[in-house]
Amino acid sequence: MRYGLFLGCNVPAVRPDVERAIRLTMPRLGAELADLEGSVCCPAFGAFPSADETASLAVSAWNFSLAEEKGVELVTQCGSCYSSLRTARKRLLEDAEIREAVDRLLAKAGRVFRGTVVVRHMIDVLYNDIGPERIRGTLDFPLDGMKAVVQYPCHTLFPSEVVGFDTPAGRPHMLRDLVEALGAEVQTYSRELQCCGGAGGFVKGSYAGASEFAFKKLRAMGSETEAELIVVSCITCLEHLDRMQGELGKKGGEGGCPIPVFDYNQVLALCMGFDPAEVASISIMPRDGLIARIRRA
Amino acid sequence: MLDLTNANADLWREITGSCGDIRHCFNCSTCVAGCPAAEGNPPLFIRDLVRKVLLGLEESLLEDETPWLCVTCSACEEMCPMGVHPFEVCLAIRRWQTRNDDTYIPAAVAEIFETGHTQPLDNVREKRRAVGLEEVPPTIARYPELLEKFRDMLRDTDLVKNNEYMFKG
Repeated sequence: MRYGLFLGCNVPAVRPDVERAIRLTMPRLGAELADLEGSVCCPAFGAFPSADETASLAVSAWNFSLAEEKGVELVTQCGSCYSSLRTARKRLLEDAEIREAVDRLLAKAGRVFRGTVVVRHMIDVLYNDIGPERIRGTLDFPLDGMKAVVQYPCHTLFPSEVVGFDTPAGRPHMLRDLVEALGAEVQTYSRELQCCGGAGGFVKGSYAGASEFAFKKLRAMGSETEAELIVVSCITCLEHLDRMQGELGKKGGEGGCPIPVFDYNQVLALCMGFDPAEVASISIMPRDGLIARIRRA
Repeated sequence: MLDLTNANADLWREITGSCGDIRHCFNCSTCVAGCPAAEGNPPLFIRDLVRKVLLGLEESLLEDETPWLCVTCSACEEMCPMGVHPFEVCLAIRRWQTRNDDTYIPAAVAEIFETGHTQPLDNVREKRRAVGLEEVPPTIARYPELLEKFRDMLRDTDLVKNNEYMFKG
């Protein structure tokens, strides 16, 4: 199995420890990662898709051409990148007129979009290509006895016709199964299928509203479960839930006990025995205590 | 009573050419019920935006900043019983606004034109090295010659041609 790793903008710049975790864990599971040299912003929905559709699709097609040239499926952890790229691919394949305009733009840059690109999300690859059983067999430090909750990346759920891989779309289970494969008990909470609220323009345009939206989710996790960690698989979920716990803590009392947040590949890397300083070193809420427990240190 | 004297009856054609047929919208509010940004202040009510488009209320729509609150989760896209594609409508309204008022053009497009990315990579080199990665990721950040080609491509788009002042480099 060989994949083109689409990094996006945030993972390599804001959470490079996640990039490191992906680069270490996937090969150990038999998934070789090729770099997509020269990749650009997906583009984010708030950028070109909000300003000029043809330009936006040309930017996506630029990225597609890199994966097509290498003959690899494109895989990304970022939910926004995943959804933006899936949406663009569909649009390019369905609208001949806009495809022609995009082809002309790409030709100017010496690139070609053939239409063969396959865009995958990390959860999809981990679950469907590798599988929970194989993952279970690679762990030095399983999470046995620990309790977790999961946050599904909204961009991998809806619209299911364009982005969906989990079934049924409204009742996803793959991330849960993957975390259970690490040995943890995954508990359910209300608002589990609500998005984190951190993407798009919500935080910027209505900070109080976006914070309160995340607080409701975090309070539900805190009061309805005994979770010791939150597992996500999207850079925005990771950053937003981490930051919002810091904000909730400042409100005092009602914040409860903050729960450390990890990207799935980070927890996987810790379970595989990789160095926490490389794979889980950047966060707002402290994670050292939990990491020590995982490593039985 | 709504004053429709200056309404543009063709506004919906102008804005939603590539979306679902928004004329099927009957304001059921499913798009609002499942929308995180409907809990914002001001709230995003997509059903109201669709109504403005259908009634042709250009002036009101042009000054309405709520489409930019969307979190892009696309729950509305999944749930809309009439196939209106509310999220696509939201993006289409943003594009119409940017075409008619350049102050709406997101700063992120100029950043992407300049560097290929929305996040600066200059101050992260040390952090990347500390976690065992190469200082500059193998994206366009490492390939200035590709960035030049990328910009050339974008220079041919309407957005860049019509707003040259925003796109330097």
